[in-house]
Amino acid sequence: MRKYFIKRLLQLIPLLIGISLISFFVMHLAPGDPTALFIDPNVRPEELARVRANWGLDQPVYIQYFLWLKNACLLDFGQSYTTGQPVIYEIAQRLPVTLLLMVPAFLITLLITIPVGVISAVRKGSWFDNTVTFLSFTGMAMPTFWLGLMLMLLFSVKLHWFPAVGNLILPLLTMTLGNLAGLTRYQRSAMLEVLGQDFIRAARAKGLPERVVIFKHALRNALIPIVTILGLSLPDLFGGAFIIETIFAWPGMGRLGVQSIFQRDYPVIMGIVMFSALLIVIANLLADLGYSLVDPRIRYGKE
Amino acid sequence: MFSLLILAHPCHSLSLPDPEGALRFSLGGEVSVLNPILSTDSVSSAVEGAIFSGLVTVNEKLEMVPDLAERWAVSPDGKTWTFHLRKNVRWHDGVPFTAADVKFTFDSILNPKVNSVRRSDFIIDGKPIEFRVVDRHTVQALLPQPFAPFLINAGIGIIPKHLLADKDINRARFNRRPVGTGPFIFKEWRAGDRVTVERNSGYYLGKPLLKQIVYKEIPDANSRLVALEAGEIDEADIPPKDYTRMKAARGVNVYEYDALLYTYLGFNLANPKFADRRVRQALAYATDKKQLVGLIFRGLASPAYAPSAPVSWAYSDRVPKYDYDPEKARRLLKEAGKENLEFTILVNQGNKEREKAAVILQQQYKKVGVKVNVRVLEWSALLKIVNAPKDPKDFEAVIMGWSLGLDPDAYAIWHSSQYPKGFNFVKYKNPAADKLLEQGRTTIARNRRRAVYRRLWDLIAADQPYIFLWYPKIVTGVGERVGGLSKPGPAGLFLHLEKVYIRK
Repeated sequence: MRKYFIKRLLQLIPLLIGISLISFFVMHLAPGDPTALFIDPNVRPEELARVRANWGLDQPVYIQYFLWLKNACLLDFGQSYTTGQPVIYEIAQRLPVTLLLMVPAFLITLLITIPVGVISAVRKGSWFDNTVTFLSFTGMAMPTFWLGLMLMLLFSVKLHWFPAVGNLILPLLTMTLGNLAGLTRYQRSAMLEVLGQDFIRAARAKGLPERVVIFKHALRNALIPIVTILGLSLPDLFGGAFIIETIFAWPGMGRLGVQSIFQRDYPVIMGIVMFSALLIVIANLLADLGYSLVDPRIRYGKE
Repeated sequence: MFSLLILAHPCHSLSLPDPEGALRFSLGGEVSVLNPILSTDSVSSAVEGAIFSGLVTVNEKLEMVPDLAERWAVSPDGKTWTFHLRKNVRWHDGVPFTAADVKFTFDSILNPKVNSVRRSDFIIDGKPIEFRVVDRHTVQALLPQPFAPFLINAGIGIIPKHLLADKDINRARFNRRPVGTGPFIFKEWRAGDRVTVERNSGYYLGKPLLKQIVYKEIPDANSRLVALEAGEIDEADIPPKDYTRMKAARGVNVYEYDALLYTYLGFNLANPKFADRRVRQALAYATDKKQLVGLIFRGLASPAYAPSAPVSWAYSDRVPKYDYDPEKARRLLKEAGKENLEFTILVNQGNKEREKAAVILQQQYKKVGVKVNVRVLEWSALLKIVNAPKDPKDFEAVIMGWSLGLDPDAYAIWHSSQYPKGFNFVKYKNPAADKLLEQGRTTIARNRRRAVYRRLWDLIAADQPYIFLWYPKIVTGVGERVGGLSKPGPAGLFLHLEKVYIRK
């Protein structure tokens, strides 16, 4: 088991280098550069060229890449072009703010999704199931930006319960409502699929109490697909949610990412790409680990 | 008795500034860097305005008035400017402000290693302006030749030598916790969220009435308005579509004023379709500007006819206007042999007004037999095509806007030397215009400059390299509790921050 994970960790190195290579070149393919965005008739082009050269952007792209890679290996991701501050510092400023929103949203979603999805599946066709189904579809049909603005108009302008911007409650609510809709459906169908399996029929035939059948036999198996989904959405926890962050003026990673792309702030873009890539590969590793916890048949490292 | 109290109370409350008052501005983007020689965005500049001050500043009439320099003089040959600095000015950390800080600021801008794009402002014909400390309170600028926009450029915020002299200015921590000489002292910056500044009781123009200003970053325009309506912020820009709603909103005063901006439809003159002036004139006749402004802005903009703005002292509307006349348009197109003209207008994605304008122009030009295609592009992609079209056919026409400086100098936009390096991407070339542009920036006396620019606008309007579309109005909503605003105008509502207050 340990050997397996060490092997997996070592495999990450070429993977991350590959990701950085592709991202770096794709990024430079996009039209424009950080100074081209700045058009002011009083700024002469030779001054923009000078600033570009100060940033090393006058070098061929492959040389820029090797310089970047060399520094990145020493954990120096450079300075943001727009703020002049280290990329690590920029990310470190946003990360806690993002986690403050994303972690509670994630936990609340889990706490609601699993029981609601299970009950819906077990009581398939009941009024509860129908209501949940109706709400899920409604939720999925609502775009986040619209839902966010509606909640804002209701709770901030009409009721005066929460401030419209810079407060945790409304973005958390929007985020959770958005997540709930999809995941509840997912949990429900995973559970339904398991409930139709032979071993459930066998468990019931043995005369096990329904509670044991559901929680011990069915639920544990129905959690496997959810673990996959959660593992894949783990990077979102750190990546933030651009639309919600923008609407509620929440200064998270999502906004930093999109803004750096618009401003062609290459060092920040690369910093975020590498950070996210690392999280995705680690999250996948953790999800694999999670499988062996919920499903004893899955064991790694033994041939 | 009771009713009297009710009546008396609001009157009383309207008159007195609250000594504990905190003003909350909204910013449409994120503050990037708080150092006036480095910042390139209007968001950062807005905050810098409270913290830093320059040698000179601008008043409500857009005239240059003293700030850190209490007076100045220019030599008869227009090449030596002498600034006499205010005495007893201190940096926010208590260190006295002197002529050395002024020289340091301009020398830093001119330093090639410093990533300041403002360096262009202080290089004339390839030669840098030299700054000289005469004594502790006197600075001289020696120009290689007369340059009229110099005084305006000299208004840039002055930075402290004692904190930056031995630092890499591009990366200095100073840019995150600045120290200036302005009415407010930097207190806190939460990245992507807010910047807070506090009253500078020792400000040389008088103790500010506000205790604190919070600059709250709210990137979404709808959210900004909701926050303004809910009373969470005191100020927000209002887009035309929300004008009526905000005008009716309680607790918000709405101000409209003119700005130094214009929007235009520019043609690539190197493209054979637009090389003939008659084609451009025909399209100008085919443009119903009143309809355009009415449909898009509902009165919150006015038709434009010249490459200047009505609020500029150099403006003139005695230019060829090409009032809407589809008959004339058709005749001119026929004369030029371009009856079946078809072309593409580029617009940048996300600018609703320009996107709407492109579609309306498409309809208007259809009436004179011209087919227009509209192509919406991301900003960088658009700039790339417009600035360096590989093939002149790639770029035919574009809707863009210029934000004009306080000085009318338009050399970088219209002079024939400003292509391919420069902003004359429509490739306008007129020797008479070149001459006027050169004359305009080397003449110092305002009345003589005005005459030069009036001739220039007339010439450019006749050639129609751009069809000038509209002058947008700036619409700002301000909470009723805010007092001490300056007269609405292109310089904004908060020209004297130290006089702004919150009603008790």
